[in-house]
Amino acid sequence: MKIAVCVKRVADMDVRFKISGDGTSLDEAGLKFDINDFDAWAVEAALQLKEKAGAGEVTVISLGADVVQETIRKGLSMGADKGVHLKADRVPFDGLVIAQALAAELKTGGYDLILFGKISPDSSNGVVGPMVAELLGLPCVTAISSLTIDGGRGTAKRELEGAQEMVEFPLPAVLTVDEGLNTARYPSLKGIMAAKKKPLEVKPAVLPTPQVTVRKLELPPDRKAGRIVGEGAAAVPELIRLLQTEAKVL
Amino acid sequence: MANVFAFVESRGGDLRKVGLEATTAARMLADASGGGEVHALVLGPPGIAGKAAQIGQHGADVVIVVEHPDLANYNPEVATAVAADRIKSGGYRAVVFSTSAQGRDIAPRVAARLGVSLVTDVLSFEVEGEAIVVTHPVNIGKVIATLAISGKPAVIAMRPNVISPAQNAKAGRVESIQPPMDPKSTRVVVKETKQGAGGKLDLAEAPVVIAGGRGLKAAENFNLVEDLAAAFGNAAVGATRAVTDDGWRPHSDQIGQTGRLVSPELYIAVGISGAVQHLAGMRTSRTIVAVNKDKDAPIFKVADYGIVGDVFEIIPALTEAVRQAKKHH
Amino acid sequence: MPDQTRLVIPSRHQAPLPLQQLLVTDSPDAEAVPMDVLFVGGGPAGLAGAIELANLVRRDNEAGGTLGDVQIGVLDKAGALGEHSLSGAIVNPVAMRELFPDLEDAEFPFRAPVDGERVYLLTGRHSIRIPTPPTMKNHGYYVASLCEVVRWLGEKAEAAGVNVFSGFPAASLLTEGNRVKGVRTTPTGLGRTGEPGSGYAPPTDITAQITVLAEGTRGALSQAYLEWQKVPAENPQIFALGVKEVWETKKPLDALIHTLGWPVPLDAFGGSFMYPLTPNLVALGLVVGLDYRQTTTDVHQMLQRLKLHPLFRPYLEGGEMIEWGAKTIPEGGYYAVPERRHGDGVMIVGDSAGYVEVASLKGIHYAMQSGMFAARTAFAALKKGDTSAGALKQYDEAVDASFIRKDLYRRRNMRLAFQKHGFVVGGLMASLMTVTGGRFPGGKIDSEPDARVPRAPAPAAPVAPDGKLTFSKLDAVFKSGNATRDDIPSHLIVGQDIPPDVADLYAHMCPAGVYERDGERLVVSPANCIDCKATDVIGPRWTPREGGSGPKYRNM
Repeated sequence: MKIAVCVKRVADMDVRFKISGDGTSLDEAGLKFDINDFDAWAVEAALQLKEKAGAGEVTVISLGADVVQETIRKGLSMGADKGVHLKADRVPFDGLVIAQALAAELKTGGYDLILFGKISPDSSNGVVGPMVAELLGLPCVTAISSLTIDGGRGTAKRELEGAQEMVEFPLPAVLTVDEGLNTARYPSLKGIMAAKKKPLEVKPAVLPTPQVTVRKLELPPDRKAGRIVGEGAAAVPELIRLLQTEAKVL
Repeated sequence: MANVFAFVESRGGDLRKVGLEATTAARMLADASGGGEVHALVLGPPGIAGKAAQIGQHGADVVIVVEHPDLANYNPEVATAVAADRIKSGGYRAVVFSTSAQGRDIAPRVAARLGVSLVTDVLSFEVEGEAIVVTHPVNIGKVIATLAISGKPAVIAMRPNVISPAQNAKAGRVESIQPPMDPKSTRVVVKETKQGAGGKLDLAEAPVVIAGGRGLKAAENFNLVEDLAAAFGNAAVGATRAVTDDGWRPHSDQIGQTGRLVSPELYIAVGISGAVQHLAGMRTSRTIVAVNKDKDAPIFKVADYGIVGDVFEIIPALTEAVRQAKKHH
Repeated sequence: MPDQTRLVIPSRHQAPLPLQQLLVTDSPDAEAVPMDVLFVGGGPAGLAGAIELANLVRRDNEAGGTLGDVQIGVLDKAGALGEHSLSGAIVNPVAMRELFPDLEDAEFPFRAPVDGERVYLLTGRHSIRIPTPPTMKNHGYYVASLCEVVRWLGEKAEAAGVNVFSGFPAASLLTEGNRVKGVRTTPTGLGRTGEPGSGYAPPTDITAQITVLAEGTRGALSQAYLEWQKVPAENPQIFALGVKEVWETKKPLDALIHTLGWPVPLDAFGGSFMYPLTPNLVALGLVVGLDYRQTTTDVHQMLQRLKLHPLFRPYLEGGEMIEWGAKTIPEGGYYAVPERRHGDGVMIVGDSAGYVEVASLKGIHYAMQSGMFAARTAFAALKKGDTSAGALKQYDEAVDASFIRKDLYRRRNMRLAFQKHGFVVGGLMASLMTVTGGRFPGGKIDSEPDARVPRAPAPAAPVAPDGKLTFSKLDAVFKSGNATRDDIPSHLIVGQDIPPDVADLYAHMCPAGVYERDGERLVVSPANCIDCKATDVIGPRWTPREGGSGPKYRNM
């Protein structure tokens, strides 16, 4: 079974961000980067499928500058077999541009499954997976929280708002992975050492002109100071009045 | 003059509120682009056509209805085909989806088929000459990006609860069309849609979230929070880590640093002191109300409005007051 | 008034060092990862050593040497390098210059050069400027964040081909006879009662011809090795606890500030520092010897009080605390350095060997320099094919012939004078030592291990946190980036039947709120632990736990 997993290098979100000089990018000083959690779950899903089938090959692909090779190596350390680095100066916001670059690479791979994380917390757009599927003309199921593959067909569960869908699809297919599908394994020491010897191909990425561009980035405004409305049940009428007239949420 | 296309999400034969939000947003965009038409698309099982009038009430000049017995469940390939075909032939300025699970599934497919890009989780939009400029939260909402979309049509998916569905009655002329392929023959087939426990509102999408903490003293007392949520009618119930760790509520209800991040219009914290880890999960809520017996509790520093006192007295009084307020809507 | 009739002697309640856990004699696992030289600890000592060794091997190979591919590994318990690193810090660049002779000072990961310093004696309400003691002059040095230094060194190490394994704590030394053959790492994914959970990964064995222990302050394996091999030192090692915060400030700070006196009680040794990383990014902290004499001495609380003092408050008002952390510092100086810091297949470097000079608050350049000496010895040993104690002895000789020993010797009694003689007399003695270059008073001053120093219960004086300038331990731990799994098994070995006065001692000793007294009993929240090691010194024993646990410092 040949599986491709597309991964993204994202910054740790547990920090205060600073906008950099030109106002359209973030100051990366002091930021820590790692594989997008959703993409790690996608790699884990691929590894589990390969282990269950007893045979197969998992390829990890990423678009970006040289630093993304660290992220590809992380996938290799977890157990993937090969890496492909599509080299580009930076990762654009425009999901179609990214999807087109990835689709060009994936088209000739003969993959049975192409996996993505559902979304990445930095750009927070969540569109690349289904766009790649559309460009490749492949069936696609997004945001799966459970998966079984059996003889060329698959079943998956998708979480909706207060409901779930059970979906069936044929292979080859594109799937995007949601939280809850699995827990990503930590690379073992042996895995980290072995990864250094696995093949990592570098190719230039072909990026068309974007249709979505960043005009500016801003920090959201600070909250205004609040106030204690009163004490005990006697304060309830005043609270209701404020929620209706001032906050306009009731 | 520019027409705008809206995708109206439905489930099991009913329109979802986000679908009406998309319609209203499309109406606003059409009006801002020199006053074009809004054409809305809805797919569903027999009977869905009866909902077209409601879509018209919210600003649709034309409602395209695809009604079919095998469309009781969402069918991504049918929906994508219908939407893309219509948009291609219609010369629309913009297309509006919702950023729901279904919206996140269909919007990128349609955009890719049209050869254009898209922005999801849109907070606001503006027409600026040839571009449509939107705001969109990045980095888990810690940064707001202003993005310019130059493609035509511009495809956006609205964040739920940002646009209130607004009555703005237009013709709502119904066009009934057949699915371009047999829904049972598509490659991806949704076999079943199962409602979650009691059709509960999901924390991430509910416009109102009521969260309970240790101040409730015991698991049984969470019924106070549930009653208040019921009084609102559109509220979800959350909890702090302390009470989920103690097993009073399931872990999926936990709001905070390592739990759910929510951003409702109204967040009411009941008996919650406001440890920093909890605040990380809800501080982007539009309006925060806190009820706690300790006037020095850190939660009061982030709350817009606070009431100090006994939650067992205050919450029932608040519940009754909300019921009354909702009655007179 | 401290109650002298209920003295608490911490050593009576401490579990012994768990040698059976820290030293294992099993044969290394068949799947063991083989390294040639393994540095245990990715701090300045371990990384400088790894880089130096990689350079030596590379140059040797380029010159036609026959070593070939030498696998150098650095193990670190933090999820990423730097996350457990904490120091003031003012760094003497001498070791950095020697390690990177082709780089200019401006290319080093330091912040501004030291420009102005002031020392004050504090009372509760006033500050009296005193002349900067010669031992504390920092001209020519740099303000730095140790996290930044370590991250930078880590990048250099990886670029030099060193295998950096972060998130892999060393749990035990693999030994055979007297030889150290490598280490075994901790397992991952155990549940609260020790049973494997869903993310379980077993321990990994790593074998090495030479293991360099660079564990930092109060290293567990270093302690185990020295105790096992019964390596003597003239004095036991003693420790101070430093609690530190990093603030973004509105009012700029233009100089280094050091203070003595308040809020440190007269029967304790310590002082504070405030350094500008940039004029509006300030590191401040309070360092207090763990031989304090009252059970309720609480360094975190004292730091909170310090921030309200008129000397500090104006800088912090309107600002924001962006990070908090704590760490112990070995303070025994010259006489506490073990007689032998090498053995068959092993060397001990940095803080684990006690190379810290208290009077000038310096340790980073000694750590790096000692790592480099170990690297040179390792290189020579690999070339000779002899990694026995006899071949590694050259490391001790290099350290003892260097400025490391010379500096430590010159100030050998300063800290000890305070332990024996208290603030006033100790201060006078320290001045005499400074003026006479250490010659008078000259003879060794005896010291006791901190755990044997008796402490009297006294009323506690907590500060009610305002959430703006002062913070509770719970909120502080959150600012250390600690997100340790709540259901991790406890890594702390608590003694039997801890009485309430001892529970109080633990609760006040620990800056992270791991210990609380609940009525008459001790409650332990091990997930709060930020690995400062104060607990290992006078409280429950600290042992290595799952990789990635503990703080995630970024600017410390």
